[in-house]
Order: sequence, then C-alpha cells, then structure tokens
Amino acid sequence: MGVTVDEGTLLAASRRGDLTAYDELVGAYQDRVYQLTYRVTGNPEDAWDAAQEAFVKAFRALKAFRGDAAFSTWLHRIAVNAALDIIRRRPPALDPLDAAAAVTTESVDRMVEQRELQRAIHRAIASLPPDQRVAVVLRDVQGFSYGEIAAVLQVPVGTVRSRLSRARDALRHALADLSPARAHSDEQSEWR
Amino acid sequence: MPATHMKELLSPFLDGALSGREHDEVQRHVEGCAECRAHLESLRRTAESVRSLDPVKVPEGFQAQVRARLSAADTTAPRRWLPRWSWPVAAAAAAVLLVGVFSANLLREMRPVGQVAPEDFRAEPAVPRPSDVQAPSLPAPAGPQALPPVVDVRKIVRTAELALDVDRFDEVAARLLQTAERAGGYVAESAYAEDGGVPQGTFTLRVPAARFAAVTAEVEGLGTVTHRRIGGQDVTEEFVDLQARIRNLERHEQRLLSFMDRATKVSDLLAIEEQLARVRGEIEQLTGRLRFLERSADLASIAVMVRQKVKTTSGVWDFSGTIGKMRAAFLATVRQILSGVEWLGVTASALAPVLLLAAGFWLVIRFRRRARTSEIR
Repeated sequence: MGVTVDEGTLLAASRRGDLTAYDELVGAYQDRVYQLTYRVTGNPEDAWDAAQEAFVKAFRALKAFRGDAAFSTWLHRIAVNAALDIIRRRPPALDPLDAAAAVTTESVDRMVEQRELQRAIHRAIASLPPDQRVAVVLRDVQGFSYGEIAAVLQVPVGTVRSRLSRARDALRHALADLSPARAHSDEQSEWR
Repeated sequence: MPATHMKELLSPFLDGALSGREHDEVQRHVEGCAECRAHLESLRRTAESVRSLDPVKVPEGFQAQVRARLSAADTTAPRRWLPRWSWPVAAAAAAVLLVGVFSANLLREMRPVGQVAPEDFRAEPAVPRPSDVQAPSLPAPAGPQALPPVVDVRKIVRTAELALDVDRFDEVAARLLQTAERAGGYVAESAYAEDGGVPQGTFTLRVPAARFAAVTAEVEGLGTVTHRRIGGQDVTEEFVDLQARIRNLERHEQRLLSFMDRATKVSDLLAIEEQLARVRGEIEQLTGRLRFLERSADLASIAVMVRQKVKTTSGVWDFSGTIGKMRAAFLATVRQILSGVEWLGVTASALAPVLLLAAGFWLVIRFRRRARTSEIR
C-alpha cells in the first residue's frame, strides 16, 4: 500500500501523459481490476481484454478525471463498463475449463473439493444477470461498501441494496445444491 | 407481508448496511421467526462462499501489454490522427474553400460599378496606353508614295463619366478645380443646381491625356462613386486621313496659285479664283476638325456629376428644404431596406449550396461518429 501514498503524484504525472507513472498505477491496480473483470465476464480471455481496455481507456480519460471520486472508484467504474461491454458484445461463452468441468461435476466426491466448489461459485456468479453480477462481485469479491458501489455504478444506494439482495437470493438457490448436506439433490438439479 | 419485507432487508442486514432502527427491527424479527432465521443463515453462507473465492491474480505480462498499447498509441498518434480526422478536416477545408469562393463571387456581384480598383481600370482593354502602341503602330515612312510620318502617337479621345455622392458639395467643387489645374488642365464646364436642398452639379474637366488615369482616380477619391463609365475612342485613322486630305488640298491650292500667275484671260482668272476659295474653305474646315481631334486626344475629358449626400441633421433651426430632406431621407431608407433585402436574397442564394454541402457533411460525420461510438460502446 506504499503506492497509495504517492498516488496523487502518480495521477498528476499520468495526467500529463507520463507513461512510467501510469505504469506504476497499473501495477498497483491490475490485480483488483482483473479480478473484477474476471468475475464479471466469467472467463480469463474476456477478463484480460476488459481489463486492458479499462486501463487504456482510463489513461486516455485521465485528463477528464477531476478527482471528485476516488481514483479506485473511478477506475472500477471504467472497468465495470468495459466488462459489461464485452459481455454485451460477445455471446456468453463458458470458460473452456468450466465447460470441461461441467461434464465431470456429476461426481459428487469431486464436487465437494475446494477447486470444484470455487468453479461452481464462479459459474453461479456468471449465470446471474449482468447488473446483479456486478453488484455481488463489487460487494463480496472486491469488498466495497454499499456507498462505494453506488458511486462506482452511479446508481442510488437503494438500487444497490435491491440488486445485491436479488443476486444473493439467486446465488443462494444455485449454491444450495453444492452444500455437502444437500449433495444428493445435486443429480436432480442436473436433470432439470 | 412482513416476511417478504424482512427477506428484502436480510441481505443489507447481513452487511450491516441498514439504518439503526431498521437493523434493530430486523434483529427482533429474526429472533422470533425461524423461517427468516434460516433464510438469513443461507444468505450468510452464500455470501461467505462468494467471499471464499480465491483472490485472482492477473496473468503475467498484463502490465507490459497496457504499457505497450499506450506507448504504441502514443507514437502512432500522428499517423492515427490523419484517418481519424480526415473526414471533419476535409469537410472543414471544403467548407472554408467554398465559403471563400462564394464570398468572392458575392463581393464581386455586389460591388458598385464605380468601386473597381484602379488596377482594374488601367488594364481596361479599350484604352491602350500611348506608350504601349507608339512604336509598333508607326506608319512605315518608306515607299514610293509614302506620306511623311505625321502621326507619331495613336490619337485616342479619352472620356470618363463619373457620378459622385459627396459629403460637402462646395468643398468637392473647389477640389475638382484644383485637381484639374494641378494636372495642367482646366474645368471646361460647370453647372450647379439645387434640388430640394440637395446641391448637385456637373463639372467637365479637361486634363492632359497622360494624366487621365491619375486624375480619374483622384476624382473618384472625393466621394462615393455611384456611376462610372470610361471610354476611349481611337481616332488615329480619321486623324491621318484628315492630314492627308489637307495636304492634297494644299497641293491643289499651290497648283491653282501657279495657274493664276500664268493666267491671261480674266474669265480664267475668275474661274481659278473661285476654285481657290472652295479649296481654301475645305482646307480650313478639315484643319478645324483636325485641331479638334488633336485637342480631344491631348486633353481627356472627365465629366463629373456631383451630388451632395442627404444629411438628415443639418442646422437645428434651418428648415429650408425640410420636405426635400425628408423625402430624400425616406427614399434613402427605402432604398437601403430594398438593397438590404436584395443583399439577403443574394447572400442566401450564394450560401445555399454551401449550407447544403455543410449539412451533408455534418450528417455524414454525425452518422460516422454515431457508428463509431456505438462500436465502442
């Protein structure tokens, strides 16, 4: 977090077109931005493209960034839009690994394995409508507060609340089958 | 439906995102309602599952690619600019060019006849300058029955007709006299009249041909030129012809005189005398015409019609010719309005194609830009 100390300096330099300064900002934020785009787009290729797009766009738009929001919030907004753009433009493609996993998830034993659980959660998120997906990723993956999410998405807090509520309810249903206690209902859900 | 209401609030409750009162309410409800307690528990597990996702690290090379893309865009910026901006730039350039062309046409169309630049009128083809034609047009002095070279310059009668609107009539009248005299000429004629309190007059200036252009330009500078006509009549041929005829008649006269010396009969003498008188008269007539032409060619004539501009504010108590001034002012205003309307019409006609083109360009640019933004979106 040493970077955040002189984030203002780096921002000012980047705004003047200093690529080296901006490079440092990219280094500081790339993981968080990539994580966001990965969970929102659902696959690494789109995540990479969206995150790239976000950083390139952010650099170009930096002159217009007046600092009335935190840079992180602003960057997240750009990243969310880039990810949503890619979702909208491309037909929903499953992560090839996930697609392969979907065939093998019939095995309950492997389902309970941490890796598989991770994939299942990931797939469950990816199956949400984009609005809810973004809300839940910002809240539970990125750890933003309701207020911050409202600032990133530029919607009222009430909207954030209801989107998140609906998202969790949908996830609750999707993930209920994964809990070890309900392992047996898994096959039924596959049949549906 | 208190249960659904509570379920809506469970998710924010979980996040501690409720107001104090709401939070307490949900707390109390959940304690008493097993269903909602179960729901809350399931939501908590869901949120925890999502939070349990391993943090994602960006693959190697991400940062380098961002940098590469940005510096590539940086260096290729000038090259990218050209295609990206070529449409608007081309449109703007075309618009500027067209506006320029049409403005030039418009100006030429609307410029009063008299306000042609001096260069223009010097280049007027109808008025060859003496120095230009002097050498080549000399009649060949050689030949068996060649006449002596009596004409060394083309004889051109130059005339100008100018109408001027001036601020102060008296002043201009005096200036015209000065101008003529300074050029080595004179005012051959002047007439003065007053029409409804507006003084106007006609002056005919005679100035040496060589000073014609300079004097004309000077006169034009005295006021607003409302009418202008420049003429140049080449009388060289008539001049030469007259000279030849005069010479022939003189020779005839000489012969008659020698006949008279040798005449012995009175009747012959009388006949010769009669012939001589006729030849003499003819010579005089032709000489007069010759001299007139010579003078006309040497002294150009500039007729200037001067009219004082209508002034709406003259002396406070001076009501003489008020009706005339009012009429003049009224007519001037009507004329200005009409010329304004005409100007608007002419301008609109001149600009119509430009505006149409501009609108076309604008639509194309808008369409393209919209297409591009929707592509980016």
